[in-house]
Amino acid sequence: MSPAPAAALLAGLVAAALLAERTISVAAIALLLLVVCLRAPAPRRRLYLVGAFVSGFGVFAVSPFVATIGWHVLWSGPTIPVLGRLDVTREELHVALFQGLRLTAVALAFAAYALLLDHDRLVQAVGFARRSVLAIALATRLVPTLERDAAGLVEALRGRGVEVSGLRGRARLVSPLLAGSLERALNLAEAMEARGYGRAGATRTPRPGWGGRERLALALGTLAVVLGALWL
Amino acid sequence: MALARVERLTFTYPETASLALDDVSLEVEPGEVVALLGPSGCGKSTLLRALAGLVPHFHGGRFAGRVEVAGHDTRRTRPADLAGTVATLFQDPEDQVVFTRVAAEVAFGLENVGTAPERIGARVAQALAAVGAAHLVERPVAELSGGELQRVCLASVLALEPRLLLLDEPTSQLDPEGAEEAIELARAAGAAVVVSEQRPDRVLGACDRVLFLERGRIVLDAPREEALAWLARHRPAWVPRDAAVPGPGSAPEPSCRIERVSFAYGDTRVLEGVSLEIGRGEVVALVGPNGSGKTTLAKLAAGVLEPGTGSVTRNGRACYLSQDPGRYLVRERAEDEVALAVEGDVSRAREALRGVGLAGLEARHPRDLSSGERERLALAAVLVAEPDLLVLDEPTRGVDPERKDELAALLRAQAPARATLVVTNDFVFAAAVADRSVSTAPEREAALV
Repeated sequence: MSPAPAAALLAGLVAAALLAERTISVAAIALLLLVVCLRAPAPRRRLYLVGAFVSGFGVFAVSPFVATIGWHVLWSGPTIPVLGRLDVTREELHVALFQGLRLTAVALAFAAYALLLDHDRLVQAVGFARRSVLAIALATRLVPTLERDAAGLVEALRGRGVEVSGLRGRARLVSPLLAGSLERALNLAEAMEARGYGRAGATRTPRPGWGGRERLALALGTLAVVLGALWL
Repeated sequence: MALARVERLTFTYPETASLALDDVSLEVEPGEVVALLGPSGCGKSTLLRALAGLVPHFHGGRFAGRVEVAGHDTRRTRPADLAGTVATLFQDPEDQVVFTRVAAEVAFGLENVGTAPERIGARVAQALAAVGAAHLVERPVAELSGGELQRVCLASVLALEPRLLLLDEPTSQLDPEGAEEAIELARAAGAAVVVSEQRPDRVLGACDRVLFLERGRIVLDAPREEALAWLARHRPAWVPRDAAVPGPGSAPEPSCRIERVSFAYGDTRVLEGVSLEIGRGEVVALVGPNGSGKTTLAKLAAGVLEPGTGSVTRNGRACYLSQDPGRYLVRERAEDEVALAVEGDVSRAREALRGVGLAGLEARHPRDLSSGERERLALAAVLVAEPDLLVLDEPTRGVDPERKDELAALLRAQAPARATLVVTNDFVFAAAVADRSVSTAPEREAALV
């Protein structure tokens, strides 16, 4: 399938997740997106899925302690300066679950975009704001590039007999990884400039026309937004 | 009339005191192939960037003099507007890839310079076919070997059909056959070519003229024959040498034994039933075409990878120096980087730094070192551990001939203390350093031991 309608379908599902008001609807959208993500090869999808679930769970775990809604108190804790008295109500848990699922759905949609779409064809297909789309495509590549660089660092250290283990060991890789990615970004920018990027009068490789699947994806994306706004 | 003219160019990078280029003048005629030689850090890459307009537009710095390419003053013309007339192939293919698939990558430059859409597909196919990479057209860039990626990058610049082709070490990751083809292709493209190389044997046979740079100054600008005579007199390390790589032979007292190993990355099988022995006291060169599994075999030998089937046995500690090791430095001081492998023993680290000619740079941040210095730092970081098996993967990439001779001498001097496996396509280096060679070429797999 062409990547542009697929991206539109994913955007429609994100909009539906943000517009929906029922927890069960958001959970269903998140589940659907999870099934889509599972089509990606296991080693590649692992990091994205962990990221999606950890961020969703983070919202679920933290927000009951900072929100103050509802009156069905399930647990009452100590008083903390600035935050006041800590307590968890049934209503807070419900809102936390709802917001956590929302964030998970959005993160899973991004994962599906990053893992399954052909970003090259997406950039080539876009007729406007091509520079922004290319920037997004390059940013999307940051995760796998960092993953590859991290693997290279671990391998180089293993080659010297130094094992990288534990949270502290991995945390030490963050600084060289960032420095390396900045260096890489500068080199890439220079190479792009030398290859004429940003010059007036750029053309595009002809792209294949849309078929039934592309039109269906676009229609489903639109339908998801309408359903999210009106019924979910 | 000259296609490119450099007049009294002096350039200094921002926040540095030393001149990167010092009063450089030269002309490049249409269709001429110019070899640009000189030690690491002498200003070769800077001169190529000046011809592409990237110096000073992209890098900033202090610029005096004038550079004119195809009638355009590079100070008044943006590099992007010179693209198409000028095409540049940079040193590191990994750092110049924009797209995830080969076809889109080669088409990127064509789109930017406004090639008619209906012609882009044909030009992409033609350029890939010319570099022998037509079969890669639908492949993801991330899955290519270093040599394959270098071919794709070469196709990207050839597709532009430029008038001036600037090649910065274009063959550093290619096997000898591929390297010869790349230089010939550049010549056949009809463009004027300025090619910087650290392996003079790969370019001196194909060029018309030679420039030799030292500390930012041109110390030689002469036709090839005259230049060869000058090099023989003044810089003998740069004269092409016979590369009589030693034959297979057998290992004395194996220190590392690889028996019938197979290995696959996912569904892609790289090695099948390969055996190899490396003896204590010997240096073995592992050669073979791009994508034939040399790096995988080296990693298996060092224990960085575990084989799918078969066995690897080693006596003592093994250390592995990866390709492009300067990219994988983790500490903030050179001596701390080296000390990592010896549990923080800074005195041993300093000694190792002295051994590779980096005395005085102990406190420097590794990323503030030049690329050549980073490579030597990485070498010190493995030598310091005094391993029983030392595995080096393409250690001469980007290293000039004089440093290469020093590296060969260092490895030879330390050879009795360990078994050494060197993955290389630099046959001159292999001839200088190795006791015997083995090949991963499929037709010779049976004779690996």
